[in-house]
Amino acid sequence: MLNTMSRPLPLRHRMLESERLMRETGCYDGITELELRARDPLKFETLHTKLRSFCVSAREMARRISASPGVREVGEMVVAIYTPEGDAVALSNGIMVHVHTMSRFIKWMIREGYEENPGIRDGDIFANNDAFIGTVQVPDVMDVMPIYYGGELVGWAGAVCHELEAGGITPGGDVCLAQERFTEGLFVCAEKVGENDELRRDYIIRCERNLRMPIYWVLDEKAKVASCIEMRESVKSIIDEVGIDYWRQVMKEFIEEGRRAQLARTRQLTVPGIYRGHTFYGHVTEGKPGFQPLGEPDWLYNMPLEMEITSEGKIKVDFDGTQPWGYHSMNCTPAGMDGGMFVTLTQHMNFEGLVNDGAWMATELNLPEGTWTNPDNEFCATATSWALLLPAYGVFQRLLSRGFIARGFVEEAFVGQVNSPMIEMGGTSQYNRSFGMAHFECAAAGSGALAIKDGLDTAYVGWNPESDMGNIEIWEQNMPMLYIGRSIVPNSGGAGKYRGGCAFVSTWLVHKTPHVRLVTSEHSSRVFDNAGMCGGYPAPTCQKHRAVRDTDIQERALRGEPLPHAPGIDPHRSDYERLLGGRHVTEEGPYITAPHKSGDVFSHAYNGGGGYGDVLERDAVKTAWDVENGFLTQEAAERIFGIVVREEDDGRFGVDKAATTKAQEAIRSKRKSRSVPVSQWLASQKTRVAERHVVPEVARMYDSAMRLSDRFARDFRAFWSLADDFTFSA
Amino acid sequence: MTAYSQEVIRDLMEGKLPWPDTKRIMSAYKDDDRFFKALAVLQARVTWKERILLPVGEHLFIVQKGEKRVTRCTCGHEFGDYRRNWKLAANILVRDDEASLREIYPNSDLCDPNWMEIREFLCPSCFRLLEVEACPPGYPIVHDFEPDLEGFYRDWLGKPLGAHSRAPAGGGGAAPPKRE
Repeated sequence: MLNTMSRPLPLRHRMLESERLMRETGCYDGITELELRARDPLKFETLHTKLRSFCVSAREMARRISASPGVREVGEMVVAIYTPEGDAVALSNGIMVHVHTMSRFIKWMIREGYEENPGIRDGDIFANNDAFIGTVQVPDVMDVMPIYYGGELVGWAGAVCHELEAGGITPGGDVCLAQERFTEGLFVCAEKVGENDELRRDYIIRCERNLRMPIYWVLDEKAKVASCIEMRESVKSIIDEVGIDYWRQVMKEFIEEGRRAQLARTRQLTVPGIYRGHTFYGHVTEGKPGFQPLGEPDWLYNMPLEMEITSEGKIKVDFDGTQPWGYHSMNCTPAGMDGGMFVTLTQHMNFEGLVNDGAWMATELNLPEGTWTNPDNEFCATATSWALLLPAYGVFQRLLSRGFIARGFVEEAFVGQVNSPMIEMGGTSQYNRSFGMAHFECAAAGSGALAIKDGLDTAYVGWNPESDMGNIEIWEQNMPMLYIGRSIVPNSGGAGKYRGGCAFVSTWLVHKTPHVRLVTSEHSSRVFDNAGMCGGYPAPTCQKHRAVRDTDIQERALRGEPLPHAPGIDPHRSDYERLLGGRHVTEEGPYITAPHKSGDVFSHAYNGGGGYGDVLERDAVKTAWDVENGFLTQEAAERIFGIVVREEDDGRFGVDKAATTKAQEAIRSKRKSRSVPVSQWLASQKTRVAERHVVPEVARMYDSAMRLSDRFARDFRAFWSLADDFTFSA
Repeated sequence: MTAYSQEVIRDLMEGKLPWPDTKRIMSAYKDDDRFFKALAVLQARVTWKERILLPVGEHLFIVQKGEKRVTRCTCGHEFGDYRRNWKLAANILVRDDEASLREIYPNSDLCDPNWMEIREFLCPSCFRLLEVEACPPGYPIVHDFEPDLEGFYRDWLGKPLGAHSRAPAGGGGAAPPKRE
């Protein structure tokens, strides 16, 4: 029995003691004074910088071992150094969301008595991708190795890679079709997978026999082990320099310093109070092949967030009012939610000083049990938890930004991250072999706008601040599809004084394969899963997929006719329909259909970010530049911004000032004539709400939110002056 | 301590500071006197004299008006007590059909108006677009921000509001946050 302890477990005792000291003193591990820092601040800071450089260099080295374009090209990897109790001391750049999830994994092993069985020894390698133990989703596979010095466990080295193939019911890593954990793929549940610095042969065989593309996973394992060994040896050499007593103490002071710095920064950059916001996500699977009838096929997810910034500077985020977990792959565990919080803080507040788990300790999350944020059923799937996690932390970014604006730090205000939908595939490759892969160019969405400038175009995702879409040629080496287009999506950034960053869309010709399954996920349907700020509009993020089967592209190419490279700007008739013969398909929601074959064409679009400020304040010259460069259509410039842009003789675009004045006046007049006082509008809406005149998916959303959250139910009834027993139940 | 001139802060807030300078400010240690300099920039933008206590949006401010504290638009329109949700005193324009959504999203796939409507909250006087909500029909209007105004001035700035009912004498520095 794993949990039967037959002898004292010093590490577990130490971890529980550390937690007790934190509870009692409010300081990490009871560190109320930063003695080493006070004694010699230069030595203190230098040591942390060295640890950080160990992490960065270990990650860069490991990326060269990997075979996965996700890790090599896009940088889907992070490494970190931990205390013996599993708290992060220093970390690399990369997918920082996993720094804290690895902490949970180490603590889980300690709590479960791993010291006794299976034992923790020098040279051991432990792996995990079980989100209920400590990761976000099944493709996020983490490896940790203990660091021993003179026979004493003095820390851990850990590394995570996002795997491009996890062996689930659908190919790739974000296993869209998984409705329970049993279809998510290969699980490694806090398992000892190697000894004496070497991965076990039987573990490698298990990987080779259960994955569609084991070369990615297996070489990533080797890359991670190499990085852990590198960090371990570096840490040992630094202990040789500073001594073991200094090391034991300084790790704790680093974390306590990180915690205090986070509190101080919150007090420096924000304003205490209550902040609120929301976003939504539409999951539409009715009639799609493969989905089992385990729950409602279509579901609208409500994600209201309330953030309190306390007088102390603590950030408390409350998910009360959100939706239940479901029989789909979008659930998230508390580990994933912690990770989301950690990576967001790292980007927005920890741009100086020590970055480690201390920042996370200065926050508090309320994740109501039974919701998608904290499922009370560990059989549920979490393979695409980013679908809800990203929009939710986009709300958090807007709430923080409200604080930055109130404090005058406008340069830090950011409208937030968006989902970046994934395309994955499997079948027969162009080399006539079985294959499977997640295409990771999604790691380059548009960002939300800033309060002083436009968002980043095709250059940001929330989970990895070091965003990269990867080179076309590399992706083409790894899949039986050729790019016939990779283009900016015009108008994909939310409109505003500063627009959201634009997204891109890829168009592929399926090539040299008789059979390739294409599957997409993390695409909201029917609702935009983001928002604008201070008058900016949300980005249009419920995009559909367009495909053409059995095209005549070869014949058209031979005849020298124009070919489509993007869907185009007519939402009712795409360029594919205009320029290609064949069977045209427009698909809402996750793309799960029959396999494709050579000659088919498929397109997949990513998302842009929300806008900031009133569109009527947008700079006209910037708008002309946007039109000239394909970020905005002429039609949108005039309709949305009232900026009339005309192509001039030299092919450049200029602003028609007189027409612009007139168009903007017309928008103001429309606002005046079409808007009504909110009180009047509320009176007109009350009957609709009281009589529940909403579509079934909206009614179900309200009903489940009211059942799970007394506060949501109370606030809803109070807002609409409804009876205390009002519900949306059928 | 990092500090910038009032002019630099003004240009930064107006989006006119050259990008290399903006980037330097973003990467540097933050300037602890920013708050009152930012307030002075905002105060100079408006035509009215009442003291801005806190910006809560691009064109929305909590303002000291006599004994009262109110939410006010740049144009001077007042939305009532600052603790009340200003949106309830605004004008609203709701986009809940294809024609009205197409005005904002002419070339994109649209949200389904049965699942999501776009609510625009406008100033009833100047018709500036102050905030946008995107939510399902029937969703209660969100109260975005309830600042702890008194606590902020007292505990974080070290300048309790009662003692500062008049406009500050230009760019006074805030007390730096206590670093434990």
